[in-house]
Amino acid sequence: MNGKRGFGGGGGGRGKTAGQGGQQGKDGQRRPMFRRRKVCKFCADKIDDINYKDTKLLMPFVPERAKILPRRISGTCAMHQRKLRTAIMRARQLALIPYTAE
Amino acid sequence: MTRKYELVYVVSPDATDAQVADLHTQVEQITQRLGGSIEKTDNWGRRKLAYEIGPHKEGTYVLETIDGGGELMKEIDRRLKVSDLIIRHLVVRIDEEQTVVNRTRSKRTEASQRRRIARGLPPDRQPGEGQRGDMEDDDRFDMNEVER
Repeated sequence: MNGKRGFGGGGGGRGKTAGQGGQQGKDGQRRPMFRRRKVCKFCADKIDDINYKDTKLLMPFVPERAKILPRRISGTCAMHQRKLRTAIMRARQLALIPYTAE
Repeated sequence: MTRKYELVYVVSPDATDAQVADLHTQVEQITQRLGGSIEKTDNWGRRKLAYEIGPHKEGTYVLETIDGGGELMKEIDRRLKVSDLIIRHLVVRIDEEQTVVNRTRSKRTEASQRRRIARGLPPDRQPGEGQRGDMEDDDRFDMNEVER
């Protein structure tokens, strides 16, 4: 009975938090993950206009390799990610933002 | 039914100020000839390029906001392509986006004002209002996080 409950209850949350029941061997490796709730920066700050000229706004979304940061990491909403993409591509054309890191 | 366009061009760093001014007058002449008008000109000055374009590492950026038709922009685009001094240029239509931005902005302020009035508050936000400090919201992506 006990073992069964461990199986059923452990997977309740996110997949990555993993079950706690019955794993005594490697308890040091699995600590509870703290994950921030991600919020779209543009929705939160009420930035309506994502402009290609505004390099300060765009730069955080093109980290070292100069690739566009995916939504799954930045938490940007779909609409703003699309706008961000066009803005970044325009800025790249004008050499305001790099295409790649050298 | 005029449209609004934004034109940015990057002039080679070897060009003198006079040459940059000359390019501006050329653009102006074309717009006037084809029945448009320049609304705004903004010289950003010399900036470092994000990547090398041919031999250049720097460039002078000039931004122009132009009212006019599509034919006009086609002509300007063609002329800029031919010019040797210009190393990059970009033409973007902005009137539609601007109306959308203005609409969302006015909608938002209206909605918030309506809500505030419904709650019996003055329509505009008073200074020193709100439960949390304006900029210390920790939920936001702050560029240093890595997904594991």
